[in-house]
Amino acid sequence: MNNQQNNNGPIDIDGSQGEGGGQILRTSLSLSMITGRTVRLTRIRAGRKKPGLLRQHLAAVRAAKDLCAAQVEGDRPGSEALTFTPGPVGHGDFRVVIGTAGSTTLVLQTVLPAMLTAPGPSTIHVLGGTHNPMSPPIEFLQLSFLPLLKRMGAEVSVELIRPGFYPAGGGELRMTVQPCDKLQPLELKHRGGVKRRRVRAVVAGLSESIARREIKEVHRHLEIREEDEEIVSMTNSISPGNVLQLMFESAEVTEVFTAFGQLGVTSQQVARDVCKQAQKYLAADVPVGRFLADQLLLPLALAGRGRFRTLRPSGHTLTNIQVIERFLPVSFRLEKLGDGMVDILVEPDEGHLR
Amino acid sequence: MSKTVVIGALGPTLDRPAGPDRWHKWRPSVAICQQQDLVVDRYVLLTQKNFHKLTNQLVGDLQSVSPETSIEVLETEMSDVWDFQEVYGTLFDIARDLKLDPKDRNLVHITTGSHVMQICLFLLTESRHFPAKLLQTSPALRKNQGPEGSYQIIDLELARYDQLASRFEQQALDDISFLKSGIPTRNPAFNQLIARIEQVAIRSTEPILLMGPTGAGKSQLARRIYDLAVHRRGMTGEFVEVNCATLQGQAAMSALFGHKKGAYTGASADRPGLLRAANKGMLFLDEIGELGLDEQAMLLRAVEEKVFYPLGADTPVKSNFQLICGTNRDLQTQVDSGEFREDLLTRIHLWTFVLPGLAERKEDIEPNLEYELNQIAQRTGKRVRFNREASKAFLDFALDPDARWRGNFRDLNAAVTRMATLATEGRITEEGVNDEIQRLQQHWGSRKAEAAPTAEKLLGTEKLQNLDLFDRLQLEGVLTVCQNCRSLAEAGRRLFDVSRQNKQTQNDSDRIRKYLAKFGLSWDDVK
Repeated sequence: MNNQQNNNGPIDIDGSQGEGGGQILRTSLSLSMITGRTVRLTRIRAGRKKPGLLRQHLAAVRAAKDLCAAQVEGDRPGSEALTFTPGPVGHGDFRVVIGTAGSTTLVLQTVLPAMLTAPGPSTIHVLGGTHNPMSPPIEFLQLSFLPLLKRMGAEVSVELIRPGFYPAGGGELRMTVQPCDKLQPLELKHRGGVKRRRVRAVVAGLSESIARREIKEVHRHLEIREEDEEIVSMTNSISPGNVLQLMFESAEVTEVFTAFGQLGVTSQQVARDVCKQAQKYLAADVPVGRFLADQLLLPLALAGRGRFRTLRPSGHTLTNIQVIERFLPVSFRLEKLGDGMVDILVEPDEGHLR
Repeated sequence: MSKTVVIGALGPTLDRPAGPDRWHKWRPSVAICQQQDLVVDRYVLLTQKNFHKLTNQLVGDLQSVSPETSIEVLETEMSDVWDFQEVYGTLFDIARDLKLDPKDRNLVHITTGSHVMQICLFLLTESRHFPAKLLQTSPALRKNQGPEGSYQIIDLELARYDQLASRFEQQALDDISFLKSGIPTRNPAFNQLIARIEQVAIRSTEPILLMGPTGAGKSQLARRIYDLAVHRRGMTGEFVEVNCATLQGQAAMSALFGHKKGAYTGASADRPGLLRAANKGMLFLDEIGELGLDEQAMLLRAVEEKVFYPLGADTPVKSNFQLICGTNRDLQTQVDSGEFREDLLTRIHLWTFVLPGLAERKEDIEPNLEYELNQIAQRTGKRVRFNREASKAFLDFALDPDARWRGNFRDLNAAVTRMATLATEGRITEEGVNDEIQRLQQHWGSRKAEAAPTAEKLLGTEKLQNLDLFDRLQLEGVLTVCQNCRSLAEAGRRLFDVSRQNKQTQNDSDRIRKYLAKFGLSWDDVK
């Protein structure tokens, strides 16, 4: 693969390639901090209706800048070019605020890998949206992603201090990260049987009957035991919100699927939406769903080796792979297995080390 | 890095929604801080008394959606948000006290507040009292758009908003001109004259005579008198304007008084004529001195008796109009030479006003310049402005005693039109001004050349042929200077500019008088 031309010079990334302009930015920031190399992003989100950096992206840039005392050019709303020159990754207490109910979890995702390489433990508070249709909810991090990181040797915990639903935001998360010298490779080949299925309906400032209707509808599509139903009524949210989640625990992994209650969408529709996602996952014998696949790429690349089985990768995943390969001496390989299943492998790239 | 500062008024109606559901509603003041691509560093929220609860809710919600914004609540003391004067005054003071840094990105939100507040915010932004751009928010247009809707930033300085600016401008101008009725002129004599004309225009239906050099603005003034009559006296008819120099022979009669079908060869249909068109309105006859004697007689009767006979008609026609006449000639002289009817002059010069030329009221050049630019903006929908150096260069030239402004406002209008047409990106530059100065100088120079055979006109070809070339050249030069001077004394100062400095007593005027007398000429002949 086309790796970086020069091992110390700046890395140029075209921010308009493939899908997921925001993901390109976050991955680039994470890897710039870890490798200590300047990254120059151009054409960030070019061609979008609102091109360039949005506030949630700027929050990620700001968090990264604080973490490693970076020099940054172009960190303005709407800017399509950003140069990020990192300093050494620091540790300690950090705090980031994001407006517009922008996603707190995406900011955590940006700083987490670098915090693992810091000389000491870190705690970061992120204020903003905690449950946002455009990003993974905190429960996904807690139940699905972080346990896998733990298997790789990383001690990371995330807590919800206050929920923040779109469009009001006002939520708060806290993440604590212990440094980790070297992540261990991870292999996730088979899911095996699902040991436990859970459904969780969250309402904030709304009637619990919404949650009950949602769970009732879920029962029409999936078998879930009564003791694995949970209705959570949050009272410390400044704005109303509703989230419906399904959790599937298997031998090696827990997957979380989420749907969001919205104005003009019935509880039944919300339930059907999340069941559809889950059924697709259950139909294939893969341990890793699409969202989790996206999140695992970077830790595996940092470990230098690993593989997992997942559904056919999204454009988002492929773009993410391309960016990672620009920074790290690894190469990704996709092995198609039929039935929409794919093994994603990460291996050291010998050519890269010349 | 420059900060983004928003100045916006609380919207008692639009920002009103309360309860948890408010998050699904479009609240413009909050929506500003919910935009994905807009980070507000400082938010000055203008509120009023009695809105404490709403203000607190807004501030809390703003802090939640935009923790990075520092919010300042400014309680205003307006007792009536629909009172133009009070609102303007309050906002004017706020603009002054806020001391916004023009280097910051300042945005004045014009979606909330009473309409009067919105208009005043616009005016104060347009006039740069708020060194800001306009911020407009709008609700979601489609269902899948969030409750924050969208926003637009309007930079009135940018050429692409010229059309918008000029439309706003027009509205603003209408308001201002209603209060100030037109151009803010500075020349005291002219202002006095206008004040008197307004008194007459409001009270009298008698004829008015406007005198003054060509291009002094007689025609515009006549129209303004008509507008005033419409507003203040409820005049219902039309404004009918004709330049008598364009009316010749039988066509003149027919154009003014109309004709019956078949009145003369080619009169193939009835023609009502201008006098009838001006019924219950105003008839402006420019260059009245050019009107033929027959037409003068008909006109006098029409003015006195309000009736006249169209060509070929047996029955008189009634028309009740107010007459305004314009002239750049001395009508009394024309009466003496039999070219103008004395009884008509007596009838029309009851109210006579002499409009000074532009050179005599140079302090009005600047406000007129602004007026001309506004006119162009209204006419073309494109706003053109001078940049600072260009404006200074043009005014320096325009106010210089050597600038002759022979065509008066017509010259100024033409100059501005040319500069505006040639301006790129809505800006008149110093270069554009310098080009125009050259054009004007050439134009005035060429007029000079046209007028050059002054000596020939005054002395006659025969007398002139008896003079040496040496004397002819000298005389021509002296006469040209004299014609450009307002008084004999001024001519003396200019012609004997060197020798007079060494003299204890000056008799320059006398020397010129004597010089002219040698050729049988007097100062009055020359002027």
